[in-house]
Amino acid sequence: MNTHPMLKYLKEEGAAGPRLPHIMCPGCGIGQVLNYALYAVDALIQEDGLRREDFVFISGVGCSSRPASHYLQFDSGWTLHGRALAVATGAVLANPDLKIIVFTGDGDTAAIGGNHFIHACRRNLDLTILCMNNGLYGMTGGQVAPTTPIGRVTTTTPYGNVEEEFDLCRLAQTAGAAYVARWSTAHPRQVIRTIKKGVRKKGTAFVEIMSPCPVHLKQSPSVMFRDLKTNTVPLKKADTPEAAGLIPIGEFCDIDKPDWISRYQGIIDGLGGDDGAYE
Amino acid sequence: MSGNRTDQLIQPGVHYLQGAQACAEGAITAGCRVYAGYPITPATEIMEHAAHRMPQVGGRFIQMEDEIGSVCALLGASWAGVKAMTATSSPGFSLMQEAISFAIMTETPLVIVDVQRPGPGQGYISTGQEDVMQARWGHHGEGSIIALSPASVQDMYDFTIQAFNLSERWRTPVLLMAEETTAHMRERLVVPPPAEIQIVGRTRPQDLGIAPEDYLPYGHAEVPPMPAFGEGYAVNHVSLVHHEDGNVTRYNPEVHFENVSRIHHKIEGHVDEIARLDARWLEDCRHVLICYGAVSRTGVEAVLEAREQRDIPLGFIRLKTLWPFPEDLLRALVPEVDTIFVPEMNLGMMKHPITAALRDRCRRVVSIPSLGSLHSPELILGRIYEELL
Repeated sequence: MNTHPMLKYLKEEGAAGPRLPHIMCPGCGIGQVLNYALYAVDALIQEDGLRREDFVFISGVGCSSRPASHYLQFDSGWTLHGRALAVATGAVLANPDLKIIVFTGDGDTAAIGGNHFIHACRRNLDLTILCMNNGLYGMTGGQVAPTTPIGRVTTTTPYGNVEEEFDLCRLAQTAGAAYVARWSTAHPRQVIRTIKKGVRKKGTAFVEIMSPCPVHLKQSPSVMFRDLKTNTVPLKKADTPEAAGLIPIGEFCDIDKPDWISRYQGIIDGLGGDDGAYE
Repeated sequence: MSGNRTDQLIQPGVHYLQGAQACAEGAITAGCRVYAGYPITPATEIMEHAAHRMPQVGGRFIQMEDEIGSVCALLGASWAGVKAMTATSSPGFSLMQEAISFAIMTETPLVIVDVQRPGPGQGYISTGQEDVMQARWGHHGEGSIIALSPASVQDMYDFTIQAFNLSERWRTPVLLMAEETTAHMRERLVVPPPAEIQIVGRTRPQDLGIAPEDYLPYGHAEVPPMPAFGEGYAVNHVSLVHHEDGNVTRYNPEVHFENVSRIHHKIEGHVDEIARLDARWLEDCRHVLICYGAVSRTGVEAVLEAREQRDIPLGFIRLKTLWPFPEDLLRALVPEVDTIFVPEMNLGMMKHPITAALRDRCRRVVSIPSLGSLHSPELILGRIYEELL
């Protein structure tokens, strides 16, 4: 029997019991993101000589945060709602050699964790953020999120959402992340390539992956998957008239600049020998 | 951590330091190499000193975006194998409660200093002891806590080292419940030679010969061994009710009870090893004054004066550990007495566990409250004389 090539990275039995059946709803995009992330990690292990124990997965709370703790045979921390990036910050400071990948969602990142999000990007800490954006709160039953389009009906916007949505990539870019990209679960090759690039990037890599929630949006998974292709436009064509109303996808920025640790280490190195001994 | 500089520690001998500085130095001596904080009066001096010192000792300092971020950064640092601390004051301590609960459940060693100021609300920026109940009961859910109460600059150094040792030994967050009085006080600090300072590190599965394939993140012992990220143990930190292997879905009430009661019992079942108190003049005493923190400095003056000037047989107890509450230790020390006086910089908080512990040993427990300022010996004496003379 052929086994899936990424199964070697999953626990036989994890925090949510046996790995199959998994806890995701039918048609959910999170399993795909997990698959793409593991392909990227596998490539990094093969190509860059990294070891499995070099990777750490930190997650927050919400559907998107479950795979790290439940299924991955890696070091992981399943943290507080919104706080994954603050926890990851401490781990980077303690051991900058770790390759830290944060699994998070749009509510986790942009609402309760919004403050940590913009400051993590501003600091340009060396970590990779995979933000699965389904445009609502899935785990609690489909409430409005800061990423929900105007007018959409959710359980807490029964007459339609009145608030404008965040553009998470523009936010991350403006806040200072070195590498920012947006794709969807319908773009597997691009997502894998982008995660690899993000992990290799010395600095904050923010990768938004639009991921369908067919259950709460009460749509067919196949239709939602198709829409991720047809409702998106490459970033370089985003300003054309034909792109009106479409979601730009691609790389928003890829900047070389010192990450937090490099700048801080420069201070430590500059202190030299006996300077500062506390008498 | 690479670049760890032990040659840059505070030198043995006599120093003249502020309590806040002594606290940061104690942390560094204890091995703390990550400090994450957010400014707040009257705790900021600890953070400023850490900012100055962490690079010198090869550690890392970060000013986070808020107190929630600060305490959460400690979680990540601790999981990555580095001792970590933050300091805040009362409003910031409120913000940290969710993460304290999380650290208890994930059994994450870390140290939080609360330089208490009076509340509620913004209250004031002077001194207080109004968070002593929040220290124990502020976090959601069950789970015990270790909280120490320093009273001098020396304590700010010594107790911070002890806080780290207890945190590592019992794999749990430890609170140093300081007060503005002590953090801003300047006085003599004696730093012992390194050989006389005990430093405790966490037990790792490697130390017990447990292989990665046999490792259970919440198993093996009452205090489970804890590897660092990157050591090949695929450790999984979870705060949902869990089995020994970290599994959260095979939930049943028995597993819940076992999980949470172990975490509770690993502290409450070892109070004698954890808790410390000072006792004086208890032989033949008819009354006792029980206090903690900076109040024990004026409290002991008041007891001395009452004994010498008015011949009142008054004993003295200072709680060095507030939580776990040393009930058995107290009962072993306090004889049958008439009145127990409890001066506190609040309206009577530790009075309650003291009363619960000693209600059959005394006729009454009298609270001596003060808000926003340290009791003078005269304030304490006035109340004692009012009740006894």
